[in-house]
Amino acid sequence: MAKSWPQLEADELHQVRWLLGGALTLIAVSSVFYLNIDAWIAMGLATVSAIAFTLRPAWVARIPTWVHALAFPLIAAACAADLWITGEPLSALVRLNLLLLAYRSAVYRKRRDDLQGIVLGLFLVVVAGVLTVSIAFALQIVAFTAVALALLLVITLGDPAHATATAALTPGEVPRWARHVEWRKLLRRIRTTTDWRVVAAGGALFGGLVVVSGVLFLAIPRFQLENTFWLDRFAMKKAKTGFTETIRFGDVTEITTDNSVAVTVDVSDREKVPAHPYWRMLVLDEYRDGTFRLSALLRRDAFGGERVGVTVRGQRASSGDTWTFYLEPGISRHLPLLGPFAQVQFQEAQNHRWAPGLGVLALRDEPARMTAYRVEGMSTDAELPDRRLRTQLLERATRRGGQPSVWETLELSANDRALVRQALVDAAVSDEASPRERAARMGAWLQARHEYSLNPAVPGGAGDPIVRWLVSREAGHCELFAGSMVVMARVAGLPARVVTGFRGGSWNGFSNNFTLRNADAHAWCEIFDVESGRWVRFDPTPGSGAASEENLSGEESLSLRLDRSWSARLDSLRVFWYRRIVNFDQRTQIEALKTAKTWAEKTGASLREFFDELSATMRALLLAPWSAERIGRAGLFVVAVGACGWALRLGWRRWKDRLGRTSAKGEARVRAEAGRWLARVEPWCGSSRDAERIVSDLQRIRFGAKATWPDPTHTLREAKQLWRRRRKLTAPPRS
Amino acid sequence: MKSGGRWSGLLWDLLAPQRRERIAPTLSGVLLIVLSLGIGMAAYNAANNILFITLSLLLACLVLSGVLSWFNFRKVTWQLDATPPFRAGQEAVIGVELHNHKRVLPTYGLWLEMVARPVDRWTPRKAESTVTARGVDVRAMIAKAAQVEARGQLPLRARIDPGASTRFEWTFQPSRRGVLRIELEAVGSLFPFGFLKKQRWAGAAVEVKVWPQPIDYLRVPGTAVSRLHGGERVARVGAGSDLLALRRYDLGDSHRLIHWKASARTGQLLVRQFAAESAGLFSVWVSAAAEPWVDDEQFETMLRLAASLAEDLLRADRLRAVAIDGGAWRAIRRVRDLDTWLDELALLAPRKETLPVKPAGGGRNLIVFAPQGARGVAAVCDGEIVATT
Repeated sequence: MAKSWPQLEADELHQVRWLLGGALTLIAVSSVFYLNIDAWIAMGLATVSAIAFTLRPAWVARIPTWVHALAFPLIAAACAADLWITGEPLSALVRLNLLLLAYRSAVYRKRRDDLQGIVLGLFLVVVAGVLTVSIAFALQIVAFTAVALALLLVITLGDPAHATATAALTPGEVPRWARHVEWRKLLRRIRTTTDWRVVAAGGALFGGLVVVSGVLFLAIPRFQLENTFWLDRFAMKKAKTGFTETIRFGDVTEITTDNSVAVTVDVSDREKVPAHPYWRMLVLDEYRDGTFRLSALLRRDAFGGERVGVTVRGQRASSGDTWTFYLEPGISRHLPLLGPFAQVQFQEAQNHRWAPGLGVLALRDEPARMTAYRVEGMSTDAELPDRRLRTQLLERATRRGGQPSVWETLELSANDRALVRQALVDAAVSDEASPRERAARMGAWLQARHEYSLNPAVPGGAGDPIVRWLVSREAGHCELFAGSMVVMARVAGLPARVVTGFRGGSWNGFSNNFTLRNADAHAWCEIFDVESGRWVRFDPTPGSGAASEENLSGEESLSLRLDRSWSARLDSLRVFWYRRIVNFDQRTQIEALKTAKTWAEKTGASLREFFDELSATMRALLLAPWSAERIGRAGLFVVAVGACGWALRLGWRRWKDRLGRTSAKGEARVRAEAGRWLARVEPWCGSSRDAERIVSDLQRIRFGAKATWPDPTHTLREAKQLWRRRRKLTAPPRS
Repeated sequence: MKSGGRWSGLLWDLLAPQRRERIAPTLSGVLLIVLSLGIGMAAYNAANNILFITLSLLLACLVLSGVLSWFNFRKVTWQLDATPPFRAGQEAVIGVELHNHKRVLPTYGLWLEMVARPVDRWTPRKAESTVTARGVDVRAMIAKAAQVEARGQLPLRARIDPGASTRFEWTFQPSRRGVLRIELEAVGSLFPFGFLKKQRWAGAAVEVKVWPQPIDYLRVPGTAVSRLHGGERVARVGAGSDLLALRRYDLGDSHRLIHWKASARTGQLLVRQFAAESAGLFSVWVSAAAEPWVDDEQFETMLRLAASLAEDLLRADRLRAVAIDGGAWRAIRRVRDLDTWLDELALLAPRKETLPVKPAGGGRNLIVFAPQGARGVAAVCDGEIVATT
């Protein structure tokens, strides 16, 4: 007879079911925290309801009947009103879901209600995952699955045939299971009624479930239908922080105070990484009232029409290197790029606009979730060719007149212009010098005159704020330096523009990728060199690049940016999530299959080689002349192998016995072992109480029913200790 | 029946699943499949890996559910235990012994599908086509067949620990006398998550005989019953004066009963047993002739009265012998004798042939049965009615 464990009563099973239902609601509600949806009231209601009624199930009976009667009409009305007022179907649906979950927590749930709760909760978790693509989704879906499966298991255990009709409760009646709930007592009961082997098997099976789902994830065939997900249309377009087409001074500085990750970049060829990468996002041309912005004219001229697709073709030839970007939500709809490219491939179809002259790629909407895109053949040069502008400027020079381009236009008062001209004189910027030389002098002058500070002070007074700061000696940040340089360049007759994006970044030493944080947000300027027909990058902000590092590139520059901190370790998890899960596509799938095939082939070849070598060695050994020494060594080897085998067999048997595997053979072996020890220790039976107890236990194992056995391993160990102890002290007493 | 063997059996089960297993999705299973389809379509539509992960998890849940269900059924055996007597109209209890032969894992959440079907042994079976029959007729026939069947579902809320057994008891009421085939039709389970309803044909069956339903009858008082002076000896242990047999001495036996001579001869203490003595013993004769009875119902009433009367007479120690039709008289010495006769009554069908001849013997006080009115039945002893329904 096997050991019999106590079992949970029907009421206790119901309590466990109630507890799991509450936990499931809380997990589902917690996923909404990651969504950028205003549902705080509904979330609070659902959380409070789930916690309060789960811990005190008897309170449910105190809810008046009219509340139950009005609940669904009220929730439906609230949802309709929500939809009508906000016009956001997804938000309204999420809030409706939360209200339903809150109500489900406040009723005595039947099986059907639990199933509804699981579906509602799954909806919330999946929507949050789809809209945020956060790594938290992985934890939430695993936790949700575990609790949901446990709930379904308990439901099945409580009603194995799903045939038991629940007795209807009268208003105010508390069901028997909910009358006296003591959670600690229940947990203790669960502990006593649970066999650790079953728990271990359950844990292993759940691990197997995760592994199987991983395998299925890898194996499910992928097709690229080039369609957009419908939920995106209903998602919120609220950026937490971001680069927009109008930058007031201080905007970029605000971003730099945030140290969270903005962009993660995978690099296929480390040698291509420049010493000072400038990740361009937005180019601003128009300056007015202290604000740089993308002018309507440039927006119309430079950007092509809006397109939908997964691929954007650039003008460069593919060079084989690929850069994979993972842009976090709420950063910008303008995608960070180092320069012109051969092709940009999105993970899914995107509405986008591409401005080849500006080197700017913009999505139609601010992504509310992580956006992944792969760039092939991207230029890392600090210069950007613009043939159209060169031709335009050269034609104008030939005609000696004509309209200035948007890059040269500057709305400044005469007084301000005079002040800027004076500054140019002070900076020794002469018209004869080349544009590059003039720009270098302007930058040097600005750096000599102003220090860097994240808390700049623009002097008060009349006139343009940038000009006021330019002529002062106040410290400033990157926007003021870049803006001032553009103003000086335009006054000096050079086409110039402000560029915003990120500078630098750190190299994650764990996941081997670039990490750009919001703190890396930066503004710099580009000045057009008519001779070469290129926009040349100038960064007037002090400390923008050490001279000693200018010539570094590739591995050397990466080693200077190496980050192996704890935050980098955590970031590497996110990168793993993006690389292996979120960005997994048909191409990656084929690559994975090829890798698996190659690995299998290599392993097969290695094994064949190993066995060939082994057989050759054995043949050589057998054919070699046999001396007495060799025979002795071979004998020793055989004995050693036999001893190892015997030890393994013994260990295996003991382990099996300890596990309590109750085969008749195993039982007979334990009885025989107990008999042997009984014969040894029985003579000392009367010597002490301990000895008596051990002998009694051994007799029970030797002759008694298996159900009444004490732990055989423990008893045999005690008998062994007793035997050793007594043998040392004295000879056994003779009767 | 054992549902699985060692590893080779395990492998074979996986490669070629056993026949007569039925797996059907439940409501939650259908929900899971619909959810999987919806999420799968959305995942392909959007090439969204979050949805692919969700789809993979849902599919893996189905796989896990199948594996756990298979584990749950492994090495579980069952056995039917039908202990007579079974009487029509009275509750009968069928025991089912379940044993879990697994070493480590318990078995959870089983249910048993029980069915009790009457086996019609005397009505010749006629093949009927359901192809040419009208649907209404077929449905009516199925409903009629289902009416006489007793079905039951026994859920197992407690788990069966590894190496342990558990016993279910199914209580039902046989509707009529005859042979009843009691089957453990299937063992089912929704374990672990209730997605799939898995039923395995159990194939365990026993046939039992259902005795006629007891009937309340009216004893007619003042009936003259012939009796012998000094009583009549009965071949049954009792308090009479005739020696019936010797048996071994048991603790508590009176010393006066010790048969000293026999004890001395055999070397062990033996005590005397005396035969019972009865003042008026009856014999009961039942004829299966259909002729005197108005209809089958009246014939059934006669059998019920005969069975009830015989049992009551035995209880009162006044039953000598019983017989059916032209068969030999069966002396009733112990309860088992009457049980055998009642088994025969359970199978007795009205016959339209000529009346059987009453067997010779049977002694005095012979009880026979005759119709009384259109529905009633009377027990007649030596020409006088002794009991009526």
